[in-house]
Amino acid sequence: MNNKLVTMAPWLAYFLIFGSLVFAGGDHTIHIASQVIILGLFAIAFNVLFGTTGLLSFGQAIFYGLGAYITGMMAKSFGGDFFVWALLIAPVAAITLSVLLGALSLRLSDVYFTMLTLAFAQLVWGICVKWSSFTGGDDGIQAIPKPELLAGGLNYYIFSFIIVTVCIYLLWRLDRSPFGAVLKGIRQNPTRISFIGLNVFRHKLLAYMISSGFTAVAGGLYAGIDKSIHPDMFVWTMSGSIILMTILGGMRSFFGPLIGVAIFILLEDVIGRSTQYWSFVIGAIMITVVLLFPKGVVGISRHFAGLFAKKGGQLDNP
Amino acid sequence: MKRKTVSLATALLLCLTSAVSFAAETIKIGALYPMSGRGGLYGQDSEAAIKIALAEVNAKGLPGGRKLEAIVTDDQSKPALAVTLAKRYITEDKVKFLYGVVSSGAALAVTEVSKEYKTIFVGSDHAATDLTANAFQKYYFRVSNNTYQSMAAGAMYMQETKMGGKIAYIGPDYAYGRDQIAELKYSLGKLGVKYEMVGEFWPKLYEPDYTSYITAIIKAKPDVLVSGFWGGDTVAFIKQAKAYGLFDKMKYFHPDGGGNYEVFSTLGAECPEGLIMSARHHNNWPDTKENKDFVQKFHKATGRYPSYAAEGAYAGILVIAEAIRKVGNADDTEALIKAMEGMKIKLPEDPAGFTSYIDPKTHQMAQAQAIGVTVKNDKFPPAKYALGNMKVYAADKIMPTQEYIDILTKSKKK
Repeated sequence: MNNKLVTMAPWLAYFLIFGSLVFAGGDHTIHIASQVIILGLFAIAFNVLFGTTGLLSFGQAIFYGLGAYITGMMAKSFGGDFFVWALLIAPVAAITLSVLLGALSLRLSDVYFTMLTLAFAQLVWGICVKWSSFTGGDDGIQAIPKPELLAGGLNYYIFSFIIVTVCIYLLWRLDRSPFGAVLKGIRQNPTRISFIGLNVFRHKLLAYMISSGFTAVAGGLYAGIDKSIHPDMFVWTMSGSIILMTILGGMRSFFGPLIGVAIFILLEDVIGRSTQYWSFVIGAIMITVVLLFPKGVVGISRHFAGLFAKKGGQLDNP
Repeated sequence: MKRKTVSLATALLLCLTSAVSFAAETIKIGALYPMSGRGGLYGQDSEAAIKIALAEVNAKGLPGGRKLEAIVTDDQSKPALAVTLAKRYITEDKVKFLYGVVSSGAALAVTEVSKEYKTIFVGSDHAATDLTANAFQKYYFRVSNNTYQSMAAGAMYMQETKMGGKIAYIGPDYAYGRDQIAELKYSLGKLGVKYEMVGEFWPKLYEPDYTSYITAIIKAKPDVLVSGFWGGDTVAFIKQAKAYGLFDKMKYFHPDGGGNYEVFSTLGAECPEGLIMSARHHNNWPDTKENKDFVQKFHKATGRYPSYAAEGAYAGILVIAEAIRKVGNADDTEALIKAMEGMKIKLPEDPAGFTSYIDPKTHQMAQAQAIGVTVKNDKFPPAKYALGNMKVYAADKIMPTQEYIDILTKSKKK
């Protein structure tokens, strides 16, 4: 009973915080909250690779940007009513591309894999910027239409909240499934996993496909927030920010990346009001967290929870 | 009875206090500029110029004794961040105007916010013609030149000085660079200037090394090299090209951003003589009281001379204040738009006898463009050179034509 409560507590907090905003949030809060849940989905999907499987991809922005551009460009050509359909096509396209890129990059290990994902990301970004007659180049795409029903910040937030929640739930189930256990095994000892008779490469590829698909959904949703998208979404710094946010929140916890995203965006908003050097503050916080609490913010809270609860250590492995 | 009097008095008192607080309330402008990195100087100069303009308009007074106030935030020239900040300005800070923006990509995104929230956006620095053409919406106004105006003046300069022949182009590989050459070709075609393109070169923005481009340009043997760089890229290119003797072999023609003070102050004595350039504002031209006052005020406030970004940022505040004066308040957006459409306003960059005005149809500020040649001039240190022998092109001759707007709309429609 108690155990069940512990596993459900993050969900309770999730619904309490993001659900209550539907009734209580002002325009700006809703806009910030939309960014948090959408980037949160991106970060959690990224963490399937990073925290769970132990694959550091520096190129997940490819799928984020791809999702945004497919959704944005399709809605722009076929009209606002097509927006939701485009949101479904985006992950399919991303998964298809991920099979190709995964097949090429996942055979490499560690830093070589990371470098190759970075290279692919830069390649796709280059195409997006250079092919300006098709993608709008550096200017990006503006005035992306949406269905009437999704107009307005609050309606779109509710829509995003529902989709993100479904996606996060699916990823959560995956994390706790035997498949998730295999991925964690691959992170800890890939050789042993292959000795059990499981195909390491195939599992990695599946994880890569799943992560990419959900990332594209996040990208597609983002196209609807500001109704404008930009090649920035493909740049390696986008992937980099997600990595930072994930580490900040805690990569060994399922909800850690979402917490990291929330902290990052809130800091940007709050500190950004008083100083132009908010990134300096974020940097200082990052260094502190990485040096003192490598398990992220979730790690810190667990650490303190552990001081009070006798069985604190047990909490370290969700 | 007594009770009634008391409540009446209270109500009156309440009304009075609220009226007082209403009068004291400032009218906010939400400005977005890059404040660091390669475009940082544009933001810093703009912020300084905004302060100068605000001091002027507040001293002169606004209806109801209200004051104008500007909030400046670093948008890092990132479209997504600019949009978030613009939305925050409108919904939280309750700004009446969005303002500034250097990057055209960011401006195109912010103009959508302006449209959605029906909030006036006064653009002061970005040059993409799109904003007052195919991406135009009625809440948008631009108080500085777009690239079309610079290139139309450039084409007229080429016709006048018989500069046709073989032409090569080099410009940053994004919309700003690509639009300029397309617009120059269009204007040259309209004027019937004969020329032959012998090469187009597209280094990426902020490219550190232009050696390969420089040797290729020299090999192509053009009579004229047209350049579409801005900021630090201009400086880097000129320095490197000078080492290869490029400027002895061909004319260097840079009609949009080449003659920015930033370029002269950075190059100092290294600036070659005889480069044909222009900018949206010059410290040494026109020789009017308005311009001298503006340049001196800026120098007094910051200890340096302004780049062209400053004058654009200065101009917009004057426009906003004038519109508020005409309407009598800052709350009637539709009336403000009407007041700004066709507004005439005397600016530092206006030559004697000309007053800038806002084209009511496209909301683009119509301004004269002056193109000159680099000559020795050490009145604005650390610069050792400035533009001289100015040729001036009338504002109404260089505005984008409806035909061009249609072409742009058609080519960029997706």
